[in-house]
Amino acid sequence: MKRHQLTSKMFRLATGIAAGSPLLILIVLSFVLFRDAMPAFRYQGISFFTGIIWNMGNMYANNPIVKNGVQAAPGAAFGILPFIVGTIGSSIIALIIGVPIALMTAFALVYKVPPSLAKIVSPVIELLAGIPSVIYGLWGMTVVAPWVEYGLGPWLSHLGHMVPFLAAPVGTGLGLLTSGLVLAVMIIPIITSTARDLLKQVPTLPVEGALALGMTSFESVLHVAWPWAKRGIIGAVILGWGRALGETMAVLMVSGDAANYLPANLYSPISSMAAAIASMLDSALTDFSGLSVHALALIAVTLLLITMLTNLLARLLVQFGGRRVGVEV
Amino acid sequence: MVDGGNIVTKFNKGALLAVTSAVVLGGIAYGSVGVVGAFAQAKPVHHTVVKHQVKHPVVKRGAGPAVKLQETGSTLLWPLFQLWVPVYKHVAPKVDITTAGTGSGVGISQASDGVVQIGASDAYMSNQKLKETPGMLNIPLAISAQQIMYKIPGISKNVHLKLTGTVIADIYLGKIRYWNAPQIRNLNKGVKLPHWAIVPIHRTDGSGDTFLFTQFMTDTNSAWSNSVQYGTSVSWPAVQGALGANGNQGVVQTAEHTPGSIAYVGISWLNKGLQGGLGEAQLQNKAGRFLLPTPATVAAAANAQIKATPKDERISLIYGPGVNSYPIINYEYAIVKNKQANANVANAVKNLLLWAINPKGGNTASFMNQVHFLPLPASIAPLSRNQIEQIHG
Repeated sequence: MKRHQLTSKMFRLATGIAAGSPLLILIVLSFVLFRDAMPAFRYQGISFFTGIIWNMGNMYANNPIVKNGVQAAPGAAFGILPFIVGTIGSSIIALIIGVPIALMTAFALVYKVPPSLAKIVSPVIELLAGIPSVIYGLWGMTVVAPWVEYGLGPWLSHLGHMVPFLAAPVGTGLGLLTSGLVLAVMIIPIITSTARDLLKQVPTLPVEGALALGMTSFESVLHVAWPWAKRGIIGAVILGWGRALGETMAVLMVSGDAANYLPANLYSPISSMAAAIASMLDSALTDFSGLSVHALALIAVTLLLITMLTNLLARLLVQFGGRRVGVEV
Repeated sequence: MVDGGNIVTKFNKGALLAVTSAVVLGGIAYGSVGVVGAFAQAKPVHHTVVKHQVKHPVVKRGAGPAVKLQETGSTLLWPLFQLWVPVYKHVAPKVDITTAGTGSGVGISQASDGVVQIGASDAYMSNQKLKETPGMLNIPLAISAQQIMYKIPGISKNVHLKLTGTVIADIYLGKIRYWNAPQIRNLNKGVKLPHWAIVPIHRTDGSGDTFLFTQFMTDTNSAWSNSVQYGTSVSWPAVQGALGANGNQGVVQTAEHTPGSIAYVGISWLNKGLQGGLGEAQLQNKAGRFLLPTPATVAAAANAQIKATPKDERISLIYGPGVNSYPIINYEYAIVKNKQANANVANAVKNLLLWAINPKGGNTASFMNQVHFLPLPASIAPLSRNQIEQIHG
């Protein structure tokens, strides 16, 4: 065999393995997670997703109980609705706050800010994306939470007469709103830099044409750039949402770690699925029946499914939300 | 994210995001111990280190081969280990010890799994866990206590509110929601309590402090003993606004920043809490007296109960008899596997623990006073020594 044939074969093999590995990782990971989660599902059934009480059971009891063929510490009950509500609630707040800011920043960077200034601002935004989440968490704890407690919260609660979810008590600042705010700051750089790169790919001619036809810059963005880049931008938003759903450390630090209750208002302490896994794994490992660890695995499976489902849903929305508008270059 | 556009193109093709989330998930599931642990370590406690005036009677200086030991667990015992380690370095220069405050739950599980040589815990191991991992020793090193702390607007931290176990349990059960509730007012005639919502704070990590606190609740409140019971982590009753915090350091910090808070805090964190403006409650003991945890009241509680200590030294010292007994005291345990990796490690662990419980070594007053612990009573030290002797290579 000639040398270049050999290298070509090797290259194909290597790229094949590399290209196949993400799928393989996904399959192996899902398999392991599902297998680990099964006992918890057999024990708890569907009430795992609708229950409010999370109880690893009495770990100092002398004998385990058996239910549906699964051993557990007496009193064990696993309901994760508060974690689901906390995860989705905080990430949606993050999107509501973060997406408009991120998109407007991206539009400004591409169409309004002089290139020389954009050269400075763009790397700064990318830098923001690289900050470790524990630092955002610390900032959330020491700056955002007190601000929510004494500033934003009391002010917002005046609107509580009209919007019940905004009503007092504001509490301690650790909770849903603070988590949402911190998450918003964390997802803005991702969405901004992705959206900016997409907008840069929008051909200049149609945009210039629109301006030449007398459209304002807002109209040219709305009617030309937005339709062009829409699908990609929605993808970018989902990417940000994925980050918000899975964010662990920062949420753990500012959520207030609510146990066994649903948020009563915007300022209530919460806990998210990822934060719950992180904070409870140690305790779960001391469960002599081992079921608590399986229950945590089931939370992980749930989070995985929710992330996939949101992706799928958003993808469908894009698909049916109208095809690319015909802008010819 | 420099090639952000590129990422989105790929992402349109399919499973990239799914894989990303799966990998992230895997990271969460398997890396969380490290993350939480790392964060716990990220906030070191600054204590003034005692000068090494301690003479060590057991180990010869520089004897034996170099050994690395790891200690993790109880955040209540951690400040003491931090005082011990630099001094012990002069006793046994070839033994390297790393310490971490990660919660008693971690101490128990990592010592059982053999990840660390010494697990620190304020709670003894359960029967079931012992059955699962035979050969684990629960070795008391000192006597500790726990206080109830609070931050109430308008109440000076010099006012020591009187509280009973059953009232505290009712607060954590959500039955008492305001500081001026009649149950609290009746105990504190003459104190002008504000109508301020109570924010109960609990530990989110597996914690020996939670174990001690919930035992006290179980002993004093029947609704509690019928529902929540006790453990290093329990299912907390739903109280709107209640907060969780990680480690004693997290609890103290959260309590300081939360007007209306109440929290249970290990006694080695008493100074930190008082510095942060928290009040310290007088707790009602079994004889009906309201007491603060002082060396006298903790010693009285210990003297009244230690006679019952069994050979394996697993015993609750909560809510004991005696007029002057403070109600929440406990043994601070080193959780150690009797079979260590090799003879060198076993000897190093043995020597360290023997030094730790020696009244002229780690149990000396200069260490104990700083963390408000009491040394191991003379009648109990032989039991601990017997257990330490069981450690082998």
